[in-house]
Amino acid sequence: MIDVQGLTKLYGSLVAVDDLSFAVAPGEVLGLVGPNGAGKTTTLRSLVGIVQPSRGTIRIGGHELARDPVEAKRRLAFMPDEPRLFDYLTVEEHLRFTARLYGIRDAEGRIPALLRELELAEKAGALPDELSRGMKQKLAIACGLLHEPAALLFDEPLTGLDPAGMRRMKQTIVERARHGAAVILSSHLLQLVEEVCTRVLVIHRGRLVAIGTIAEIVASRPDLQGRSLEEIFLSLTGT
Amino acid sequence: MIAAALYLARCSLVNGLRRRVRRLRQPKYLVGFAVGLLYYYWLFIRPRGQSGAGMIHGSAGEVVAMLGLASLIVSGWLFGSSRSPLVFTPAETHFLFTAPLTRRQVLDFKLLRSQLALCLSSLLSVLLFSGGHFPATRVLRVLGLWLVFATLQMHSGVTALVRQSLEEHGITAVRRRLGAFVLVAGLAGAAALALRGQLGALQEAFADSETLGFDTLNAVLHRGVLGVITWPLAALVRPALAPNFAAFAARLPAALLVVTVHYVWLIRSSIAFEEVAVESAERMASRIAAWRSGRRPPPPAGAAKRARPPLTRLAATGDPVRAIAWKNVQAEWRGSGVRLPVLIAIGVIVVAWVASLGEEAGTGLQVLAVMFLALGGMAVVFGPYALRNDLRSDLQLSDLIKTYPLRGADLVAGEVLGPVIILTVVVWGCLLAAFASSLVFDVPGFGVSQRVAALLAAAIAVPAFLGVATLIQNAAVLFFPAWITVGPARGAGVEMIGQRLLTMVGSQVLFVVALIPAAIVGAVAVAAGGLVGMSGVWLAVPGAAALTATLVFETKLAVAWLGRVFERSDPAAEIGG
Repeated sequence: MIDVQGLTKLYGSLVAVDDLSFAVAPGEVLGLVGPNGAGKTTTLRSLVGIVQPSRGTIRIGGHELARDPVEAKRRLAFMPDEPRLFDYLTVEEHLRFTARLYGIRDAEGRIPALLRELELAEKAGALPDELSRGMKQKLAIACGLLHEPAALLFDEPLTGLDPAGMRRMKQTIVERARHGAAVILSSHLLQLVEEVCTRVLVIHRGRLVAIGTIAEIVASRPDLQGRSLEEIFLSLTGT
Repeated sequence: MIAAALYLARCSLVNGLRRRVRRLRQPKYLVGFAVGLLYYYWLFIRPRGQSGAGMIHGSAGEVVAMLGLASLIVSGWLFGSSRSPLVFTPAETHFLFTAPLTRRQVLDFKLLRSQLALCLSSLLSVLLFSGGHFPATRVLRVLGLWLVFATLQMHSGVTALVRQSLEEHGITAVRRRLGAFVLVAGLAGAAALALRGQLGALQEAFADSETLGFDTLNAVLHRGVLGVITWPLAALVRPALAPNFAAFAARLPAALLVVTVHYVWLIRSSIAFEEVAVESAERMASRIAAWRSGRRPPPPAGAAKRARPPLTRLAATGDPVRAIAWKNVQAEWRGSGVRLPVLIAIGVIVVAWVASLGEEAGTGLQVLAVMFLALGGMAVVFGPYALRNDLRSDLQLSDLIKTYPLRGADLVAGEVLGPVIILTVVVWGCLLAAFASSLVFDVPGFGVSQRVAALLAAAIAVPAFLGVATLIQNAAVLFFPAWITVGPARGAGVEMIGQRLLTMVGSQVLFVVALIPAAIVGAVAVAAGGLVGMSGVWLAVPGAAALTATLVFETKLAVAWLGRVFERSDPAAEIGG
């Protein structure tokens, strides 16, 4: 579903991402981990079309992002760490607006159901200013899920959420994967990665350091046997 | 407390200046700084061979200053917002509200910190009207204006607290303040009655000479009830008008008394505001607890920003370009206040009414027609700069809008369309109002038929003009995101003023360049119209249509190009940098 080949992003002489290749199949949750400045955010921003890669190809559902961005993005949803909402659209209007952008035909029926499911029905007429952090996050998720994306990308999804919100977010990620979505999750929270992800991609200074299940990574590095994920991460990234 | 405020002000000023000086290493800021300096020199310091508009001598100066101040205060009470001018930054909130300080100390801190900006405003105001001359006595004017600005700031603070209290507690606060409202209304009524009795004498005096008129008005304003009402105003403005140091020193105590009363009033209002809040102590306690625990406080009852009903409801299916335009129209509708349109409407009505008092019939409507035309013209010229709910606002959310499954050109088109729709409606409204007002009076050589033709031509051309002007602003933010303010925050400093001037001039040049081919095609259409028997103003209609068609064609080409630029760009990175 998500196929990345030779992804490279340069900012002048700085190599933010260096020749990164990987694929995420439907139903998989790939954890993208690495220290600060490793290139995780640049990778995610490249995958959703916010920045254009210097080299390499990205395919979403068979559509190359550079050549056919509209079709590729139609299958994508990106959930940044901070919910990005329009100040002057109400909750319901955000969903209607999103439905128009993604050409969702049965949106009139889906919007009320989604509002109820995410416990936002009572706030349908509220502006983002009137919502709590958790509610804003829910609304951003609702907008992201409305078009039932085949590929989902999360950047630090638990930022600012209370325990209940964290649990809901983890459920959402797992359920979407169970329904066949390919998910990439970027986070510093190794426990989250361990709990939710089926595979892990470790990135350091823009380069792929390791990829696979934790067992596979450990198998390829016998010296990491019996260590915690945190120790494995620190050892792989040399931090 | 004073030491802490001064320390913060000094450090912020020094560090801010250091950062700006460092920024000048980049050519774009250096060029902006040079242009900004020239602008300030031209505006404030350049000798202009006159004593300056600020020198209105005698009673006229005092009357004008008093009435200006009174109108500011009244408009503040009538149309002011509940947002205090003493707004705390997140850092101030974090440090001050958690520090072991009383409410009064926090307010003192804020008042002290704002004095530097007020002093600078006074200095610039005096320089602006100095005519390039700055004798030593102008320092007195700076000090006097500083007192006026500081008092106005505190007065606005009180107004905001009262409004906030009313919004939060509704009828309870109304009852509490009923006495004050009755007093104000009574004073206003008494003033009106007192003034009414003197209208005849005032008319005669102004008919005789302006000086005598102002002298009489000044005398009237200082007598009886009016004298009581206007005393604080006069006391406050007099130091700024003092001709020498001795007069300034003599007038200073009364002005300081007014300042002190305002300070006490602000502090007491602040405490009274808290007392009112005690009635909803539980809610307040939960808000404070939430604040202290770092959670978002629940919005106070009735105080949350409510969404205005949408102008139109967006269907969940349909053209995405129109959806983006709709979003921007909604943002403008919900984000803009009603204050400015109401003030403009009141101004138009008052001016037209005053004009209608003249002996010649229809003068009021003539003035009205001219004012509507002027308003429409201003909307065409300044509207594309003022309405910023397009890429200038949405690039803040570039991480979101760049993920939309849309071609860049469609997104740019939708973004630009929103402000163009609003401005077109406003300008068309002004044109129609001017046309309707003009129907009742004659203009030699410009009959109703000609006016219809002019209206049609203008109505055809306006959307295209607005489209090009708005598109240029959006192109500027795409190409030079560091030069154009993205979102509501505005950069400060001489270099930013210079950058704004340069982009404004650049935009105008680009607009003229875009207009040249359209004007040529329009001229050809006018000539063709003449060949098929059209004449006079009616020739403007085919001319406007051809001009519009050319501009629309140019706009489409530009939108397609900008769409590709948008797809390739990473504005967030540039803005951030």
